[in-house]
Order: sequence, then structure tokens, then C-alpha cells
Amino acid sequence: MKDLAVIETILRNRYHFFIEIRDGVGLGAKMRAMLISSITFLALYGAVLGSTHSLWQALSSAVKMPILFLATLVICSPTLYFFNVLFGSNQSLTQNVALILTAITVTAVLLLSFTPIVLFFLLTTSGYQFFKLLNVGICAISGWMGVLFLSQGMSIVSAAGKEGASARRNVVRLWILLYGFVGSQMAWTLRPFIGAPSMKFELFRQLGGNFYANILASLGELLGFFVVR
Amino acid sequence: MPKTPGQKDLTLDQILDWLLDALLERQSARQQHLAKPGAEPAKEDIGPAAPSTGARRPTPSIPSRAPTTPQRLHEPRPGEEGWEPPPWQPPIHLERTLVRFLLLMAALVILVNVPITRYGVSLARLMPDSTLLIIRDGLVLKGSGPEIYILEDYRLRWISSLDAFEHLGLVWGDVHVVEDSFLERFEKGRPIHVLLKCPDSPHIYRLENQHKRWIKDMDTFIAEGHVWEDVRMVSCEYLRSIPDGPPIPEDAGTPPQLD
Repeated sequence: MKDLAVIETILRNRYHFFIEIRDGVGLGAKMRAMLISSITFLALYGAVLGSTHSLWQALSSAVKMPILFLATLVICSPTLYFFNVLFGSNQSLTQNVALILTAITVTAVLLLSFTPIVLFFLLTTSGYQFFKLLNVGICAISGWMGVLFLSQGMSIVSAAGKEGASARRNVVRLWILLYGFVGSQMAWTLRPFIGAPSMKFELFRQLGGNFYANILASLGELLGFFVVR
Repeated sequence: MPKTPGQKDLTLDQILDWLLDALLERQSARQQHLAKPGAEPAKEDIGPAAPSTGARRPTPSIPSRAPTTPQRLHEPRPGEEGWEPPPWQPPIHLERTLVRFLLLMAALVILVNVPITRYGVSLARLMPDSTLLIIRDGLVLKGSGPEIYILEDYRLRWISSLDAFEHLGLVWGDVHVVEDSFLERFEKGRPIHVLLKCPDSPHIYRLENQHKRWIKDMDTFIAEGHVWEDVRMVSCEYLRSIPDGPPIPEDAGTPPQLD
């Protein structure tokens, strides 16, 4: 419960939180609290997603959802760090990771806030493609809010090194794009999260296709243009 | 026209007055120009002469465009010099709400996953299936009748017995109960039978509707489209317990009895 207190600080006193990250105050404790919070929230959201298919899928998605975000963090944080250093930042890698974790935590708490809505649609609709697109939309909105937090945090934390501040802002913007691409590909690699109802439970589905083509196909089916086979 | 600081929204009357004044000024200037000796009338002069400048209407009290007072270009943004973070917000103990919310959601997730029907279907998966399905080979479907079908090449293949169902490695959880109209979308393919054989007998039997049908010889076996992989080894005792059906072909004579 003590670890969950970090959520209030992030949501209500974010600037003070970012200043503390900038000053390196209690970074370890903050990161631990954010990790625990985001893993818990993402696991619950994942469990709701997987419940459409089976109990095994619910358990699998509860494990895979935190992995999706944390693996994306691990893959993308060095790029942000080294590009920031290149443009005059004096932050440490730990500070960078703490900032990205803040974004993930915000995303996770927003996803958690959407769980009653997801559960409602799970119980009242039977359109697989609709349910999939609904969750893609929810993840996109929550993820976007998360990276907005990251952008704000970065502007405060990197203020100490004034040189190249504008370049670093651009680095963050481009990195957000990269983060989105890596995240979507990671989600595609770790799929299924919902589990197609006519298919048996699979921990991972064979690779092939891509996230964007699948979303377009789902949209096409939802709008009645064609059937996804 | 840009607003000056402190200027309120102009009313329509004020704007019209303003425009009229501008017109009067322009016309009086044109008349002065014409009054000069040798001056050519301007080609674009159209319309009656304007009243003298004495007829000029009093200037409405429109606030003049005052020079802008020097101000800060913008408030310092977070991280910029001179920026101060907003005051610390008092705690609302969000963590307590979060814990309660987490517990409630976890309980709901468990609740919707608890099997509630005799087939082990939970609340989360209780909705009719047909609109959820991705049509693919291997999809197991059942309509309102007892027949269970498996989809292959967009044809429904009837699974002729429980043994065949089990032989295919299927469980009840694989079966999607759908509307009959959904099944009618597909053509019917060849039924799927399970072939039974026991170690002590050379004969092969086809199981249909819980009756065993003796397949006369290998030519018939092949002609019926069977392959050796379809043959399931069972105990002779079990095979004996299954009642005989008509042989394949039906004029093959009396089925041999198992010792």
C-alpha cells in the first residue's frame, strides 16, 4: 500500500516528483514503487483482456502485459539516454529509466481505470474484432497520456543542462515515436492477449503479419468490408 | 483589427461608426484634391459629392489603439528559468482508493472466470459464439441438434461418434455452440469416422452412431477414403461390447464375430 502512494504523488504533484528525480532524491525507492504499482495494474488489465478466452489466457495475459511494457522500456531506454547525452544532457541512465517508468506507471493506472469499461464490454458484446479495437484504442489513449508525462518530466529533469535543450526536446519527440513502434511490435510478438475465441489457448502465436495490417483488417471486418480468415 | 489591452468587444454600431468615419475622411481628402486649380478629376470618382467636412459626425468614443505596455512574452514553462512548481497538493490518500479498486476488480475478474454451466463455461464466455468466431480450419461447431462438426476447407465435417471426437483430441471446451443459420452458411463435407481395431483380430470396423460397421476388405477401406492413421486400437472386449451395424458395403454379408 505504501508503494501505491507514489501514484498520488505522480498524478497530483508531478512537478515535485520530476524535480526529485532531477535531484536524484530517493530514485531507488521511487523506481521500486513504480515497478510494483505498474506491474500490479498491468497484470489486472491483462487478466481482464484474457478472460474473454479462457482462464489460462487470463493468467497468461496477466503475466505478458507487464512484460510488454517493461521489455519495451529495456529496449528503448538506452537510445533515449545516449541521444540525450549526445545533445548535452547530464542525466544518468537511472534518471532516464525512472522517467520512462513514470510514463509506464501513468499508462498503467489509466489502463486500470479502464478495466470496468473493458469488463462491461466483455460481458455485453460478442464482437471479437470490436473488442480488440476497443482495447487497442484504450492502450493508445493511455500510452499517449503516459508519454506526455514523460515529455513534461524530461523538460524538467533535463533543464539542468541548458545546452542543446531544443535538440533534446526533439530527441524526446522522436523517441516517443520509436517507443510506439517498438511497443506495438512487442505487443504483436507477445500476442495473443485477448485470444481468438475459435482458437485453442496459445502462450505465443506464431510470428507473421504485423500489428498495423491486423488492425486495418479488424477495422475492415468491423465496418463490413471483408472477413478476417 | 487587433485588440488593445483592456479593449472590450466592439458592438456593431461602433464598428459601423468607425467605417463611416473612415469613408468621410477619405471623401473630404478627395474634395480638397479636386478644389486645387488644374487638378484632374480622379477617374474612380463615382457618386455624389460628399458633405463638407463641417458635416462630419462626431467621433465616437472608440478607445484608441494604445501602445502595448511591455509585458513578458510568455510565462516560463516547466523547466525554464524563473519557473516555479505549483504548490504541493495536500494528500487525498489515493492509495486507499486504489487498493479498494484493485481488490474489487480482482474479485470481478475471478467471478467472471468461475465456471457456471455444466460444460464449464464462465460468465465471461457466456455470450453466443457465432459473432466472435474467426473462421478457420479446425473450428468445432454445434447447432441446436446433437451433431458436432469440424470445419475443414470451409466444409462442415460431421464427427460421427464420441470416439471420433476423442480420437481427434477434442474436448467439450473446443465446441462452439452457434445458431443453425450460421451452420447453414457452409457446405457439408465428408463425415469423420473413427476406425476401430483390436489386437487379436485382423478386421477393421467403422464407428457410426455408436454402432460398429465392418469394413469388408482393404479395397473398400481405401475406396471409402480411409487412411491407416484413422485406425484406433482398442481392446477386443470394448469392440465386442459395441453393437453391430450394417457392413461396408452393405452387401458384404454377415460381419465376422470377434473371438
